[in-house]
Amino acid sequence: MFLATQAQTKMTDIEASNLKKQVKALASTTKTISSDFVQYKHLDFLDNAIETSGKLAFKAPNLVKWEYTKPFKYAVFFKNNMLYINDEGKKSNIDIGSSKMFSQLNTLIVSNINGDMFDESKFMIHYFKTSKDRLVHFSPKDENFAKYIKTFHITFDEKGDVIEVKMIEPSDDYTRIVFNNKVLNQPIDEAVFIN
Amino acid sequence: MKPFLLISVCFFILSCGSYPKKNNFKLAEHAGNIVNPYFANPNQDYVYKANIEVYNHYFGGIFIVKKIDDQQHRVVFTTEMGNKLLDFSFNEDDFKVNYILDELDKKILINILKNDFKILISEQLSSKETYILNNETINQTSINNKIYYYFENPEIYKIARVKHGKEKVRFLFTEINDNIAQQIDIIHLNIKLKIALKFLN
Repeated sequence: MFLATQAQTKMTDIEASNLKKQVKALASTTKTISSDFVQYKHLDFLDNAIETSGKLAFKAPNLVKWEYTKPFKYAVFFKNNMLYINDEGKKSNIDIGSSKMFSQLNTLIVSNINGDMFDESKFMIHYFKTSKDRLVHFSPKDENFAKYIKTFHITFDEKGDVIEVKMIEPSDDYTRIVFNNKVLNQPIDEAVFIN
Repeated sequence: MKPFLLISVCFFILSCGSYPKKNNFKLAEHAGNIVNPYFANPNQDYVYKANIEVYNHYFGGIFIVKKIDDQQHRVVFTTEMGNKLLDFSFNEDDFKVNYILDELDKKILINILKNDFKILISEQLSSKETYILNNETINQTSINNKIYYYFENPEIYKIARVKHGKEKVRFLFTEINDNIAQQIDIIHLNIKLKIALKFLN
């Protein structure tokens, strides 16, 4: 499927370095994040992407909760190497140490949020800009990780804040997550991270 | 030992009584074809929230089916967060695993899911026998050498895989609306496996 995108050009080394500094500086002052999100799961054989939406909560250094509210209620959070799930009232947990996929995804999500993703030893990184935003492509060097995600694209706004994440599978199917109504550094109750 | 053996043999013979007889089905005029409409529309993305209970482990995900051509279906299962767990293609009698997560790559599991999904997507089947019970029509057919009974009232609301006169797997279709079953339950009676599917769009 063809998606209309704004023309993108490569960043200069200075622009790329400025972006990294800006993202790290913002991340270092970010203690909490609350945000709405819309997730679009694109599979090439479907007519429409599967749309789900909900709220994200992040508390430094590494607590992340995804709470889907539409079209079903499902919440998942990562804490102390465990994945806690509340699936329409049914609660369960998974030791993510036992699942490579979940443990790698957790690392990815946390580093996305805390600005720790510009790691050249782990990813091939390419920097682009459009008239409005800045876009960075990360391709995992780890073969196991690359089995799940071939490349992920992160879009940053002018403040260096993540506004969109697109994770592309080796098959070219992808998941696109768009963040809206993001609020930084408002207190988040610890109870949010108790299942 | 001998009386026990005799009792066992009698019990075995009784338990092997035919499924229609045990359930008081009456043989009726042969119906011809069975038509399963639930995954038959190529213009529909079939997206379900799935809840799976297997040996007291519980997990969820998104179950996606698309009819991509005559006799061809794609069946994909992802986590709620969109990570693909498995991706199967069915093309008439051909079956292909396009992707499966390493942790799920077990032949026995793939076979169980393949057999279950095949029943969901099989549209046209020829009936071998037709029975009636009250207002219901029950057609018997075979798929991959396994015996299935289709219960219609008048829509298909149940499919049962039967072996030695006993139900082994039960497929239940409820809240049927415009050829879409809003709720589908696949219940295995010989292993602890239940799959519940709830239609999302």
